[in-house]
Amino acid sequence: MATASPAADKVKPALHMFERGESLVAFVGLSVAGVFLATMAGWLWWAFHTQCKLSKTTNAEQVRVIGHSLSRSVEALLSADEISTLRRVVAEAGVRPNLRSCRVLLPDGQVVADSEPSRITVTNLPQTWSGHSPAYTEAIDKESVLMRWPLEATGRGSACLEVSAASDAFQTGLSAQTGLGVIAIASLCALLGVYRFARYRLRGIGAVRQALLATAAGERSIEALTIAPQFGIEAEAWNRLLREREQLRRSEVLGEARQTMKSWHGANGALGAACDGLPQGLILVDRDRNVQYANGAASVFLQATSDQLVGADLGQFISDERILAPVGQAAAGPSYKRTIVELDQENSGHPGVLRFVIRPVRREDDGVAMVIIEDITQQRVAEEARNAFLARATHELRTPLTNIRLYVETALVEGEKSKQVRAKCLNVINEESRRLERMVSDILSVSEIEAGSFKVNRDDVHLETMLEQLRADYEPQAAQKHVKLTFNLPPKLPVIQGDRDKISLALHNLIGNALKYTLDDGQVTVNVNINDGLLAIDVADTGIGISEEDIPRLFEKFYRARDKRLAEIPGSGMGLAIAREVIRLHGGNIEVQSEVDKGSNFTLTLPVGAEAA
Amino acid sequence: MVIQTQQSGAVTVVKPSGPVAQADAQDLRNELLKAQKEHLGRIVLDVSDVPFLDSGGLEALVEVAEEMSRSGQWLKLCAVNQTVRQILELTGLACQFEHFEDANSAVRSFL
Repeated sequence: MATASPAADKVKPALHMFERGESLVAFVGLSVAGVFLATMAGWLWWAFHTQCKLSKTTNAEQVRVIGHSLSRSVEALLSADEISTLRRVVAEAGVRPNLRSCRVLLPDGQVVADSEPSRITVTNLPQTWSGHSPAYTEAIDKESVLMRWPLEATGRGSACLEVSAASDAFQTGLSAQTGLGVIAIASLCALLGVYRFARYRLRGIGAVRQALLATAAGERSIEALTIAPQFGIEAEAWNRLLREREQLRRSEVLGEARQTMKSWHGANGALGAACDGLPQGLILVDRDRNVQYANGAASVFLQATSDQLVGADLGQFISDERILAPVGQAAAGPSYKRTIVELDQENSGHPGVLRFVIRPVRREDDGVAMVIIEDITQQRVAEEARNAFLARATHELRTPLTNIRLYVETALVEGEKSKQVRAKCLNVINEESRRLERMVSDILSVSEIEAGSFKVNRDDVHLETMLEQLRADYEPQAAQKHVKLTFNLPPKLPVIQGDRDKISLALHNLIGNALKYTLDDGQVTVNVNINDGLLAIDVADTGIGISEEDIPRLFEKFYRARDKRLAEIPGSGMGLAIAREVIRLHGGNIEVQSEVDKGSNFTLTLPVGAEAA
Repeated sequence: MVIQTQQSGAVTVVKPSGPVAQADAQDLRNELLKAQKEHLGRIVLDVSDVPFLDSGGLEALVEVAEEMSRSGQWLKLCAVNQTVRQILELTGLACQFEHFEDANSAVRSFL
């Protein structure tokens, strides 16, 4: 997949802005401002021009009025030869605003009176003078207004009144329009400021509007509709709405998919029920590693409900890559390989061993991986126990066999020379053979128990004879270990119905264990009582005892207590399991009470009318 | 009623002692469901010391059996006495459970 360059990332927001019409807004705004400016300039020019023209006309009219009224006075004063009055009138007229000069001229150009006295050239007027004064004239230009009036001094001659004024139309217009211009520019600046502020505040709304228009036009991509965050809170709100809409859409799609799956399950109800009835977990996973189907057992093994599993990533429930990797390959690739992974969940809070079988399911439309989960914890435990038993049994069988072989060799070599040696050898061989026989018998019994074919053959069992035989069997061994073996028997013991050999085997195991686990100079006591039709045989010892942790598992097959001292004492872990199985088959039970380093007390109870369960 | 729980290999043997009735039924149900969840369904119910069940006890057992059946598992009963067996047969619920003579047989069935 291609990745965008940094430059493209920078350009993208700008393009977004363009797409949202921001430049159009700017263009329209600037155009309005330009038109406004042009209008203002035209209006100012027109107003300036009009103002200048009006000012010029006003100045001319003012000069005309002043000159016209002044000419009559000057004419009369000239006729009366009131030269000093004439000069004062002219001087007073010249101080009026806007008048540049006011003077009276003779036809020869001599200045009789002037608003500026220094320019007077004739001190005294003659009685008469010749010449003709010019006709009435007006000269008006941009900078000045000049008017001349002809004067006729009766009986003396003609003269001329000249009044000139500065034309300040330009300045007047300029000063008048400057204020207007400043106001206009200030207004324009204020307008631009308001526009900029409004544009800044409204750009988010503009962007949202553009996005809405794009939505109306059919755009559905969340990326195309997303607005850059710099457009303000409106953009953030819009983007949040988009995200919420997208989440809602996804939820709806997921809901529809689940509904479809449920419909599918409904249509295939029998198949679904059959799959849920499987003790093995069954999961179908698509090429995106999402779970398409999970049966009930899979829910139990993965500790999740079916609804949680379907549609979810398998990685949420299984983290082991040994499983996830082949699942991905099986769903995506053309592999037909089957993968088996055994997972020990010792630390998961749900101890056990699960076997995952992963294999592909080929379909035309899509690749799917099938995961079968099987709980093999009990098989694994049984396998470990069996292996341990084999190791121990091999060791136990080898010991008597070795003894037999060695004593046979001794008897062959030295037996002919000494009868005592031969007898001793044969005695040992006999004992080891019986030990071997019991061991093989135990193994066979365990096999029968495992196979469920362990049966009892009912016959008369003379308890007294059996217990006397046990005493005879174990007294030499007790004497050898300096253990005091005591049998406390009632005066009379009944004859019960049961399997003599197997009951004898159970008692052998109990008494043999008591002697085996009692240290030298200890004591083993066998108490026999009959109460309420129940035979109770207590085998008590002062041996090494059994810890509280080991007692619940003591009757499990192949189980031996975890006491380190047992390493030196031979044993297969079968005796007690067989003994209890035998007694239970006769309707009785064996219970144990023990304390470490104090001793143990095994109580065997049997109904006197011994009916097998 | 006292409920003992014992491990036999990887299998949990739940052994109630006494009648399963009234409030005790709920305790047994909770204990069974807890063991079923913790041990992935590797449980056995030893009813050798249960003299009888009332309707609440039956309901509790059926509820656990149905919960387990949804995941392809069966509630394994062992050492069912005559009274309990008759109750299960009369109510037609015996077929909802797997029956074994003793706990060892039930435990072996997991192999």
